[in-house]
Amino acid sequence: MEAYYAEIRLVHLGAVLMSGTLFFLRGFAVTVFKAAWPHWAPVRYLTYTVDTILLTAALMLTTVVHQYPFIDAWLTMKVVLLVVYVGLGTYALKRGKTQNIRLGAFLAALAVFAFIASVARAHNPLGIFSTL
Amino acid sequence: MDSPRKLWTWLIALLAASFAVLLWVGRDIGMNAPPVPERVVSDSGEVLYTRADIDRGREVWQSMGGMELGSIWGHGAYVAPDWSADGLHREVVAVLDGWAKAEGAASYAALDEEHQQALQGRLRAQIRRNTYDPATATVTVPQWRASAMKTVAAHYESLFGDDPATEVLREHYAMKDNTVAQAEDRRQMAAFFWWTSWAAVTERPGSNLTYTNNWPSEPLVGNRPPATTFLWSAFSVTFLLAGIALLGWYHARTHAHDSEPLPVPAADPLRSVVITPSMRATAKYFWVVLALFLTQILLGAITAHYQVEGQLVYGYKMANLLPYSITRTWHTQLAVLWIATAWLGTGLYIAPAISGHEPRFQRLGVNFLWVCLLVIVVGAFAGQWLAVMQKMGLELNFWFGHQGYEYVDLGRFWQWFLFVGLMLWLLLVGRALWPALMRKSESRSITGLFFLSAVAIGLFYAAGLMWGRHTALSIVEYWRWWVVHLWVEGFFEVFATAVIAFLFTRLGLLEVKKATVAVLFSTIIFMAGGVLGTLHHLYFAGTPAPVLALGASFSALEVVPLAYIGFEAYDQWRLAGATPWMRRYRWPVMFFLAVSFWNMVGAGLFGFLINPPLSLYYMQGLNLTPLHGHTALFGVYGMLGVGLVLFCLRGMMPELVWNEKFLKASFWCFNIGLALMAVCTLLPLGTLQLLAAINHGYWYARSELFMQQPFVPLLIWMRVPGDVIFSLGAIALALFVAGLWVRPKRETGRED
Repeated sequence: MEAYYAEIRLVHLGAVLMSGTLFFLRGFAVTVFKAAWPHWAPVRYLTYTVDTILLTAALMLTTVVHQYPFIDAWLTMKVVLLVVYVGLGTYALKRGKTQNIRLGAFLAALAVFAFIASVARAHNPLGIFSTL
Repeated sequence: MDSPRKLWTWLIALLAASFAVLLWVGRDIGMNAPPVPERVVSDSGEVLYTRADIDRGREVWQSMGGMELGSIWGHGAYVAPDWSADGLHREVVAVLDGWAKAEGAASYAALDEEHQQALQGRLRAQIRRNTYDPATATVTVPQWRASAMKTVAAHYESLFGDDPATEVLREHYAMKDNTVAQAEDRRQMAAFFWWTSWAAVTERPGSNLTYTNNWPSEPLVGNRPPATTFLWSAFSVTFLLAGIALLGWYHARTHAHDSEPLPVPAADPLRSVVITPSMRATAKYFWVVLALFLTQILLGAITAHYQVEGQLVYGYKMANLLPYSITRTWHTQLAVLWIATAWLGTGLYIAPAISGHEPRFQRLGVNFLWVCLLVIVVGAFAGQWLAVMQKMGLELNFWFGHQGYEYVDLGRFWQWFLFVGLMLWLLLVGRALWPALMRKSESRSITGLFFLSAVAIGLFYAAGLMWGRHTALSIVEYWRWWVVHLWVEGFFEVFATAVIAFLFTRLGLLEVKKATVAVLFSTIIFMAGGVLGTLHHLYFAGTPAPVLALGASFSALEVVPLAYIGFEAYDQWRLAGATPWMRRYRWPVMFFLAVSFWNMVGAGLFGFLINPPLSLYYMQGLNLTPLHGHTALFGVYGMLGVGLVLFCLRGMMPELVWNEKFLKASFWCFNIGLALMAVCTLLPLGTLQLLAAINHGYWYARSELFMQQPFVPLLIWMRVPGDVIFSLGAIALALFVAGLWVRPKRETGRED
């Protein structure tokens, strides 16, 4: 599997980028324009597909680099924040009862997403703050 | 052939003839099983192994999980090697290396091709010769072979212990350290492995074929598929085409005379069924079904993950707690158990519904049986864990631990307990159905057929009680496949056809006589191939030539009815839309449709892919086997189990509004997830293994040399998206069922 490390990492990063972009576009359309298309089935299924690929590539990478959530702190942080991100995302797109709640959840989700990316870059649970 | 009476006569005659032949072949298998020698000696007189070593070695192998860790004669699990093929290859390489060194070369591989061929020729002539002396029950081997046997034995003694020299190999094979804790046990298990490979390379007296019909493919010793595998493969395809043509003609003839459709009832006839206390008590069976199903999926995920990380699950050394052989054991056992529980619950639910009769203490019986089932699952699984962790000892293992035979792994005590439980189930179903069976009505025949398929499922588990601790392995295999094959490809098929047709007649959508004739006819067709088709699992299990001919011919016929399953599916689809109130049964019917689809793909196509003797010669125990296993077992019987659970729940709580969102998600997730698992991993991996087996020998396709190539874990990972989707389906189903009790929504719109 080590032989495919670079390719798997590329797929993972590509899926992260696509997942984040899709969420940004959907969240922006829902919170700013109150658009309906982000809830269309093909859009939802596309995000499910991208997220499943992202998750699979992430799991593959853990076994290649032999670093695991709940063993290595930075991966534990990523998993915990992923749960927070998903929770905020559902409030931004669907569950938020008012527009302000949706907008707040959307911005918070984007911040969490960015922080997860910084944790991944730094391989440190403090992410961007590790350099402070 | 449109009179039920005539069809019953045909069915009884067919079953009598088929079982007579099957029993006769069983006798033949027993008489021609590879002998277990009293002693194996070298020509210098050194005793290498005794019968006691080989016999006890088999028990050791059973106790550590048997077929759930690697395989013997191609039967078992897929991550560790086939011990018969692996042992044989290691032995011949050790011999050839020894000879090459004697000629001054560094090893056999270092010789030029001409010399290699010369040594191979010498080896073939000598190693295939049968040196078993029936008078003394002794196998004599030359000294050079005795040395090679010791080398192989030392390897297995190291591998199954905790020797650091074989640590990496243990990880590759997903074996825990100290798989077999005692050194003497490991020595005896190596003796058993040697005996299985001896049977695979030793020619039967008076024949140029080995005891296992030249299986496994091993070019170094001239193990090639016998001519009969080509012959009967070609004939099996011919029989299949002939069967399809004949059944096509029959369908055309009968469909041309289709009567007018039945007038559809104005309201759902089943809404008027009185829900008795015992029917209500079956709800807990369906909760258990879901719990077992979710556990099975989790164990499947761990089992699959061991193929990537060996002893770890995402960094945690899971093998110390739940090694591969136990997760795989429970995964396969739970598949049977949750599906069986769904069917048991269905039988108990619909029996009083049909007869309108609630016998005395029926509810008590239903509850008692449920407790028994829980005791069996917990007790048997605890025993298996203790066995695999080597905490039980061989004396208790046979009765309470792990029998090591795939799908019938339960200790004998638990097997008996399960059999008694099945008899109690039959008693409960039978006494509730009795008034309907005695009533002289048109539906008596189809009710009887439904009950008979249930009786057969219960009784045929008894085949799993037919062997003892020291019964010949070929005979154990014979009876094991009675249980597995006759259940799955015989009575399960009949039960599935009968129960679905039966439910449609109860809904008033199918004419009873027509349904009876159709079910009886299907039963005849299924059983015509199904009973003797059992033998196709036994081509290479130390069995004589008729097994190959009969197994190939009749198992090809098993596919014939599946080629026309589209007719059945279309009829169900049509009936599902026949009336507005059928909307209430949309999802049970959708699951029944999935049964038809996967019956055609999983059982029919993927089943026939590995079915002809020539195909199976190479494919047995490769990933093409679980391709068939997963798509047929879950695709057909799992989907049927879910459909039946939904049907019963619909009847049990007729006033509830269903959350169809969950059911829709569940249905599509199951189908898409299963298809992805098949197409992304099992089919390509199995195909690559097949090419490796054909080009290099069977041992190679199962070896770490093949399985540790980078593309193999990559292909295994490719099933993760499918598995995730499939798991979401199971969660959606569990949420749906939980919702019926937690926050039920009634038809009036009022929430409790």
